[in-house]
Amino acid sequence: MFKIMSLLSKSSQKTRKPFRWRLRYLYDLLRELVLRDMKLLYKRSVLGLGWTLINPLLQLAVFAFVFQAIVPVNIPNYSSYVFAGLLVWNWFQNSLFQATGVIVNSRSLIRQPNFPVAILPIVIVTTGLIHFVLALPVLILFLLIDGIKLQPVIFLLPVLQLLQFILTVSFSYFLAALNVTFRDTQHTLGVLLQLFFYLTPIFYDLNSIPKQYWYIYGLNPMVHIITAYRAILLWGTQPDWLALFIIAMITALLLPFGYYIFKQQSHRFVEEL
Amino acid sequence: MRNAIIVEHLGKLYHRYHTHKPATIMEVVLSGFRGLSAREKFWALRGVNFTVAPGQMLGIIGKNGAGKSTLLQLLGGVGIPDEGQVKVTGRIGALLDLGAGFSADLTGRENVFVSGVVAGLTRREVARRLEQIVAFAELEDFIDNPVRTYSTGMGMRLAFSTAIHTDPDVLLVDEFLSVGDLAFQEKCLERIRELKAQGCAIVLVSHSADQVQKLCDRALWLRQGQVVAYGVAEVVAGQYLSEMRSETQKRTPPRPPQMTKGGIELRLNENRFGSLEVEIVDVQLLPTSHINSGDGLIVEIEYSLIQPIDAPIFNVSITQEDGQVCLNTNTQNQGILPLFLQNSGKIRVSFERLDLSGGKYYVNVGVYESNWTYTYDFHWHVYPLFVQSKTKQSGILNPPCRWESKNPASSKFKS
Repeated sequence: MFKIMSLLSKSSQKTRKPFRWRLRYLYDLLRELVLRDMKLLYKRSVLGLGWTLINPLLQLAVFAFVFQAIVPVNIPNYSSYVFAGLLVWNWFQNSLFQATGVIVNSRSLIRQPNFPVAILPIVIVTTGLIHFVLALPVLILFLLIDGIKLQPVIFLLPVLQLLQFILTVSFSYFLAALNVTFRDTQHTLGVLLQLFFYLTPIFYDLNSIPKQYWYIYGLNPMVHIITAYRAILLWGTQPDWLALFIIAMITALLLPFGYYIFKQQSHRFVEEL
Repeated sequence: MRNAIIVEHLGKLYHRYHTHKPATIMEVVLSGFRGLSAREKFWALRGVNFTVAPGQMLGIIGKNGAGKSTLLQLLGGVGIPDEGQVKVTGRIGALLDLGAGFSADLTGRENVFVSGVVAGLTRREVARRLEQIVAFAELEDFIDNPVRTYSTGMGMRLAFSTAIHTDPDVLLVDEFLSVGDLAFQEKCLERIRELKAQGCAIVLVSHSADQVQKLCDRALWLRQGQVVAYGVAEVVAGQYLSEMRSETQKRTPPRPPQMTKGGIELRLNENRFGSLEVEIVDVQLLPTSHINSGDGLIVEIEYSLIQPIDAPIFNVSITQEDGQVCLNTNTQNQGILPLFLQNSGKIRVSFERLDLSGGKYYVNVGVYESNWTYTYDFHWHVYPLFVQSKTKQSGILNPPCRWESKNPASSKFKS
């Protein structure tokens, strides 16, 4: 009986639609790997997911104290302003940092026959996105406390998230590949990200950047992305579509190239004796 | 019938770099971008051709660094060949680094889902097989405990069971026979035979010619990336074994016969074999070499060596006069941590009891290179062991036994 059953399942395996099955499979794989990361986070600390919220809230408290009480900065709705910036930046920073080590840390997965290695950074960025989405209610609460009226442009949020998602994944491909050859990439990146935290308008006003520096300052894509988030959340205005379009175009060029290098390097990594 | 695996003129180029190849961005900048390009290239594999039909099992033998793992990876689609091609039809399953992908903090069940999906099943397919997987691993009572509470054997069993239940059309196996206890190993073999009978094509990488001879239909022998022989498993494995033996002979230094402390002459290539990088100086059978059947025995080996040697394997066997092996044990299959030898020392193995029939036996001791590549020193039929038994037995074993009648009607024996 068992034999017949297994024969049946074998034959059905060959007749099913490969493409639809493949999509289903990739979805399941992504889901399992993301779930694993989330569960591990839950189990390793008592506070679990709470940490992902406590961290930006503590940062916010410090910024609010420094820039409201010590060096007053004239930005309306400061806590909403900073908190939105922090959530977006933390997603970007944490994902990029973790994804950089992903090839080196996933030897046994990469060695699996036909494992789609390119999914690994996507798993990390997705996990970050989930944390971001889980923190959104708190952000909305801040907006409401500050008396901001939410405008319909807020429905553009998924578009911005998608753009940031693809941008982060593209960068991750390059950095993870680089980390195979140069194992200190992750450390170097940690330092760079800390510097870029200050070169992104997270706790200060974009308008205070002197005009002559703007051309260099504006090369940082996160400047535009964070500003776009604020436009739809805080100010209820259309984001700067031109800037977003340019970022989307550059990402579209980077992504396939990064994907290629990432695959090549991950294979090279498991070949090393 | 169509072949499940076709490998044609396969070649894989590896790069060897300077020993001082900069490994960090900092070093690259400091070294002025020198040493980044490969100093030399070499073929890790070249000109490899073979096919495996559904239901066939191919063994790949060769020493470490012969290209076996590289070949297995290319078959699994990891890495791109520099020459030739690999064609594999159907779903590929693999038994490689069993349990390495498990997360210690997750339960067995959660890990099965992750590794099942990683191995190429959808969630629903894993769910459907879950019961079978758990039953096969014999972990019904532990499946909801975190994997960190498992013993190594339990983890391996679960990993093996998950990998083997993915209905592969092609199965890649890397030195798997150390999974759990003997009974479980037998079960694994049984399952592999079952898959084979169902038409799964299997590739087994092994450095044990014995295993390949026993399990495989065909064998491929690799040396430094080249095929030395390809054909019927018995023949190829036999060739491989005889080369290993001649390797040992080549390494055997000329030396006059020596005497053991017990006064028996050791003559090279007669009752003593090996390169003598490690020398067995003395072997003591304790308490004595005359024991009663059912007594315990301790075999104490004293060795000496000039240069330190990493991870040698000690082997002790008991044979009858005609060479029939009664018992065979070594430090590797007993799962003892690799030894590191310096100067001299003693190692002993204790048998709690030897239930051998009465008669004369020999205790043979050997010490081998960490991959069984060749022999350091092996003493064959040098140390006799005499076993006394009260009862006459014709077989090898003489365990305590008792006859009982279970039928009440005839329970009284007629005297």
